Amino acid sequence: MSAIQHIRLSELSNQITDTLRAAFGMTSFWVIADITNHSFRGQKNYHYFELVEKDPDSNNILARIAGKAWGNGADRIANFEKVTGQQFTNNIHVLVNVSVQYHPVHGLQLNIQDIDPHFTLGVLEQQRQATLGRLVTENPEFIRKSGDQYITRNNQWKLNRVIQQIAVISSNTSAGGEDFKHTLLNNPFGYIFQIDEYHTAVQGENNAEAFVAKLIAVFNAAKPYDVVVITRGGGAQTDFLIFDNYKIGKAVAKFPIPVITGIGHQKNETITDLMAHTQTKTPTKAAEFIIAHNKKYEEEMLAFQQNIVIRSQQLFSSNFQSLASLNSLIVNKARDILIQHKDNVVRINQVSINTSKSILFKHRSSLVNISSRILSKPESILYRKKNDIRQLVSHFNVFKIQYFKNQQGSLNHYRSMIRMMSPDNILNKGFAIVKVNDQVTGNPDDIRIGNDIDIILSGFEIRSTVKQKTKYDGKDFNL
Amino acid sequence: MEKTLTYESAYNELARIADEIENESVSVDVLAQKVKRASELITFCQTKLKSTEAEVNKIIAQMENAGPKQ
Repeated sequence: MSAIQHIRLSELSNQITDTLRAAFGMTSFWVIADITNHSFRGQKNYHYFELVEKDPDSNNILARIAGKAWGNGADRIANFEKVTGQQFTNNIHVLVNVSVQYHPVHGLQLNIQDIDPHFTLGVLEQQRQATLGRLVTENPEFIRKSGDQYITRNNQWKLNRVIQQIAVISSNTSAGGEDFKHTLLNNPFGYIFQIDEYHTAVQGENNAEAFVAKLIAVFNAAKPYDVVVITRGGGAQTDFLIFDNYKIGKAVAKFPIPVITGIGHQKNETITDLMAHTQTKTPTKAAEFIIAHNKKYEEEMLAFQQNIVIRSQQLFSSNFQSLASLNSLIVNKARDILIQHKDNVVRINQVSINTSKSILFKHRSSLVNISSRILSKPESILYRKKNDIRQLVSHFNVFKIQYFKNQQGSLNHYRSMIRMMSPDNILNKGFAIVKVNDQVTGNPDDIRIGNDIDIILSGFEIRSTVKQKTKYDGKDFNL
Repeated sequence: MEKTLTYESAYNELARIADEIENESVSVDVLAQKVKRASELITFCQTKLKSTEAEVNKIIAQMENAGPKQ
């Protein structure tokens, strides 16, 4: 046993309890504080939280006391929520009426008696809104607000189809970073990831500069990162204030690689979440998001593969079918054609046999006909000709006698005519022939007065000289 | 068979012969020749199709056995 005077811890605790009860027991205080680390057990209607006060300039925490609200206090909180429409939760600035309690095991606690609903917005939220407003106003080229959404350059990037190269920003002691890595590397699909870790403090607003420097280091690594993941394990709500920092929000919004946040908190979204490409609630969820993203790609590929298998099988079967049908068509048709041609040949054969027979018969009969005509005709022609000749002969005989008779008659006529016209006869009838220069003449112009002329008359020649020549118009001989 | 014969051209020629035979525009003089050519083409097409199918099946099997991507 030590000689030093001592008491038991519980005795000290009881002394503290008595002292505090004496000092604060019967009084309550209206205090202004921020709520953090709030949790609520619905079935018991218990609120647990911390009340904090921060330096408005540096945001450093000046005071922190655990708080609780049971029974009446919890009812007042419910009323507060009903009146303000604001949930009693982290980051709200409240004016609460508290009594001070000390419990030997649970320590110092402030017990809420009442809450003033007029203090609806906490300073933290006001600051947060101010920071968001400043981000939008000062960086219009890569941050703008659309409805409740913030459109940033970062969240407009399209994620690569497959995420494999990952830069992780976490604290080197972070359980969250380990959760993230573990979930990724032990994924059930066997996906392989290349993870580069960038360690930096992820709590305390004064570490914001170092955090931004880490982001720049990721960029300067010039590796083909598919995404940058910011992880942070669970912890008290106040530890997340760094992620509401203006510089970090701006750097994330502007960052040229999609940023995925897995900042372990369930109750609020930080400005970094709002600026990032994708926000998830925890490091594990961030890893699951990446795995799901890759899984979706793999499923698309598998669907493609399946499609290719099915389509190629369809293609083969349809090609085999069309080949087979062409094959049978050609075989059958070729056979048909042959059969048809064979039939045609048989028919033509038959026809030619029959036709040639009938042609021969026809020719034979016409030959007989012609020959019979040839045989009969000449006889009759000859007969007719003979007849004609006989007739001609008989005509000749008849006409010959007649002809001679006629000829004899005309001869006799001419003889008597000639006899009558002979000069002897004419001279006997008193006509004379006059000759001039021993030439017979009938032209009186040959005879001139003084000419000697010979006159022949009935067997005598009389020589005379022309004494006179006159025109004579006697008509003695006009018969 | 020509070295440059492709499935596509063989099939087209086959279809043309089948057409001619179906329309009976093939004279008997060349019928045997056409049917012989058709049978060559069918053999060619079937061989080609079967070898391609085998090859594709092999590739598909490899695809399916490849498992999750690296």
